[in-house]
Amino acid sequence: MSVLDKLPDGHGDRALLAGLACLLVGALFAFTPLRAQLPSALYVFVEVGILFAIYGMLVLGLDLQYGHTGLVNFGHVVFFAVGAYATAILSAQDSFSGLALGYPWPIGLAAGVVVAAVLGLALSATSIRLRGDFLAIVTLATAEIFHSVFVNFEETFGGNVGILGVPRPIAALVEGDTRLVVTLLVLGGVTLVTLAAVTRLTEAPYGRTLRAIRADELVTRSLGKSTITYKTQAFVYGAALAGLAGGLFALYNGAVAPGFFTIQVTVTIWIGMLLGGAANHRAVLAGLAIIMGLRLVSRFALDVTPVSGDVFASIRLIVVGLILVAVIRYRPAGIWGDARELGVDR
Amino acid sequence: MGLLQEIIFGLVTGSYIAIAAIGFTLIYGIVNMINFAYGEYLTLGAFIGLVAATMIPVPLPIAALVAMVGGGVVSIVLARGFFTPINDTGPVPMLLTSIGLGIALRNAIRLVGGRGARYFETETATFRFDAIPDVSLGPVDLLGGFFVTSEQLIVIGAAVAVFVAIHGLLTRTDVGIAMRAMGDDESLARVRGIDTQLIRDSVWVLAGVLAGLAGVLMAIQTNVSADTGFSHILQILSAAILGGAGSPYGAILGAYVIGLVLAVSTAFLPSSMTGLSSAVAFVILVAVLLVKPSGIAGKEVREA
Amino acid sequence: MSLLSTDGLVKEFGGLRAVDNLSMSVDDGELVGVMGPNGAGKSTFFNCVSGVIKPDAGTVTLDGTDVTGDSPESLAHQGLVRTFQNTRELETMTVRDNVRLAAPNQPGERTIPALLRSSAMQKHEEGVRKRADELIEAFELDHLADEYSSSLSGGQRKLLELARALMLDPDILMLDEPFAGVNPTLTGEIADRIADLNDRGMTVVIIEHEIETLSELVDRLVVLQQGSLLVEGDPEAVLSDERVIEAYLGGDAE
Repeated sequence: MSVLDKLPDGHGDRALLAGLACLLVGALFAFTPLRAQLPSALYVFVEVGILFAIYGMLVLGLDLQYGHTGLVNFGHVVFFAVGAYATAILSAQDSFSGLALGYPWPIGLAAGVVVAAVLGLALSATSIRLRGDFLAIVTLATAEIFHSVFVNFEETFGGNVGILGVPRPIAALVEGDTRLVVTLLVLGGVTLVTLAAVTRLTEAPYGRTLRAIRADELVTRSLGKSTITYKTQAFVYGAALAGLAGGLFALYNGAVAPGFFTIQVTVTIWIGMLLGGAANHRAVLAGLAIIMGLRLVSRFALDVTPVSGDVFASIRLIVVGLILVAVIRYRPAGIWGDARELGVDR
Repeated sequence: MGLLQEIIFGLVTGSYIAIAAIGFTLIYGIVNMINFAYGEYLTLGAFIGLVAATMIPVPLPIAALVAMVGGGVVSIVLARGFFTPINDTGPVPMLLTSIGLGIALRNAIRLVGGRGARYFETETATFRFDAIPDVSLGPVDLLGGFFVTSEQLIVIGAAVAVFVAIHGLLTRTDVGIAMRAMGDDESLARVRGIDTQLIRDSVWVLAGVLAGLAGVLMAIQTNVSADTGFSHILQILSAAILGGAGSPYGAILGAYVIGLVLAVSTAFLPSSMTGLSSAVAFVILVAVLLVKPSGIAGKEVREA
Repeated sequence: MSLLSTDGLVKEFGGLRAVDNLSMSVDDGELVGVMGPNGAGKSTFFNCVSGVIKPDAGTVTLDGTDVTGDSPESLAHQGLVRTFQNTRELETMTVRDNVRLAAPNQPGERTIPALLRSSAMQKHEEGVRKRADELIEAFELDHLADEYSSSLSGGQRKLLELARALMLDPDILMLDEPFAGVNPTLTGEIADRIADLNDRGMTVVIIEHEIETLSELVDRLVVLQQGSLLVEGDPEAVLSDERVIEAYLGGDAE
């Protein structure tokens, strides 16, 4: 990043083009009689791909917060959840549990982003000065608080059942295989555009300042930068992205429930980011792909071996936990990260 | 249920949380890390105790002792294997490592122990005090009849014994005094000739022993499952931070506050929302970290 | 005319007065050295003036404006730039990025211009890069320009900090132990550059333990002891002052 002497127009711009292309093609399939056919063997890949696109937005937001600015956010799932619930409550037509206000879905989606951003602002205003591990605890505790609220305030949030009847705009337009393809294209497109935006931000002097803050906040302040502003912005942008992902998830899934928003999500995102290499946007997406790939592998292995699903889930989680430990110990910069960039070249 | 009854529950919860919180906070103060796998140490202690009590079988106090020894061993082995090698990487990598370790341990326990909950078979004597009149404040009974079980008395009694023992350790033994010195200022302690790695190892063992005991006591009160410890980690953490991270005495105080608040809020919450009471512990945690991160008795944790 | 002055500055830490009623002033264009035995309060004084900590009492005035308690970033914009004793240069960034970072008022540091990659931002960045390269060359660090500053030697880091500080075009430069941990050759070079800057009009205040280099370099020496001003004046006169010799040799605050 520092060797380039002209402003780069590299992968960030390519991601933008790819993203816009995906959205265009997706729109094509959705609004014209054009239809897609998928061999049924590919269904599971497309489904995981859709989830990957959504989680991809989460990991990019977290990378902005932690990889670039050094903010240890261990409650990222809360922004995802808040965005999803806000979208669901505002746009659901008819849910027998929880609130359903029936507004048009774009309003719901916008609300999801805004509410998540506001929560991010509230958290950063209060906690941004805390030492790394304590910020981690506050964010984690906040996620648990909200989880508890969602489960217990049944009238508003639908308890363990959640909120149903959330509109599914793509499903309303097309069916069957086409629906899957369009969803993947649209969500994938949004993720690619997100990648482009985040890349642009961090390749600009803005990113330079973020990384300086991560390196040493006092020095950065002494050079005239208002570090509180940057930290707050990074935190809020990451939260807003997660809120967007949550809203999109709600509109894809047609329902939200607490079970989708557990600490497991946060852990998955973190491991993906660290495994791939923090502060490198494409690397963190790749790392996330590997972790989610494990999920796919265990799904296949499940079909083949005479072992129960529970056992497999436990084995998978043991592996995941050990990966996290191993990465931190042996390869703290991850597979593709730059050790000198992250200050872990020991 | 009367408030008085809830207060008793709170004291019981506070007791085993306190025992665990002492270990947790000592690790924080001396090894300088938040050990998120600590809940699993409790779970392991509970399982070891259960195995000892049901399979061998031995009477409950012996089972508790076995759990304590087991806890100490597990703790030092895990520390040597996972935490000591990365001691100088900083609090965040160590926290993340403990999170990963916790996940792995929790699921390994789930694999071996299964998903169901097991129970300790204990003979309980219940002491009822029904003669106390009801005094009501709105929907809440302030007094009213209450009962205390012998199990509860054991828990509270064990906790008191632990507090006395810890106080003795910290004030009268070389190891304990060295621990306090290291907790205050590590470089100064090293200059004074204290073998810091040895003290760290001692803290791990002590924390493991306490976790083992707390696990058994918790299991007596509730049950034993792979999630037993983890479901309490945030309460333990809250207690430690509320009392001032690093201070064992603060941790005791913090634990009883948490225990009482949990129990009392259960009394005041509508019955459909009792699950919120654990959220109350987290709210306290967040509030403490935001308002006075050094807690009741501890050191400053904000950055420059 | 006084560019920087303090009046009755006080800072206490847990009952101990690190800075005790310190009043001193630095004129425009001066090269002033601040010295004193360990515990004299030099670093605390620097920190109070540069906004790192807030003084308990007293005022700090910069070019006629009261800046007591202002934040470090605000002071940097008002023309006061400082370096740090423990070479807290940004280790996870290259020399080039370290210097480019310091450029003030970059449009690319705001969200919208960064996202849109506006031409204003691109043009400004071009200018920043040019200026940074010039400074890096002037300080003879160009062969290290793309090295991460973690691989620089002590002396090279000090030079980097100087180059970086200059990007801000300061009115007054406050250097915290610029010779600490630097080999004699580079020490001489750094001293020469500081003298050069001062000749061209830069006001400089230096804290140092390296008394020899310091006294040869500066116009005026200020000696602190236990948080207050002991002696100040011409370097030779100050160094031969009995009180100063006592302070350094006698039973003083250690």
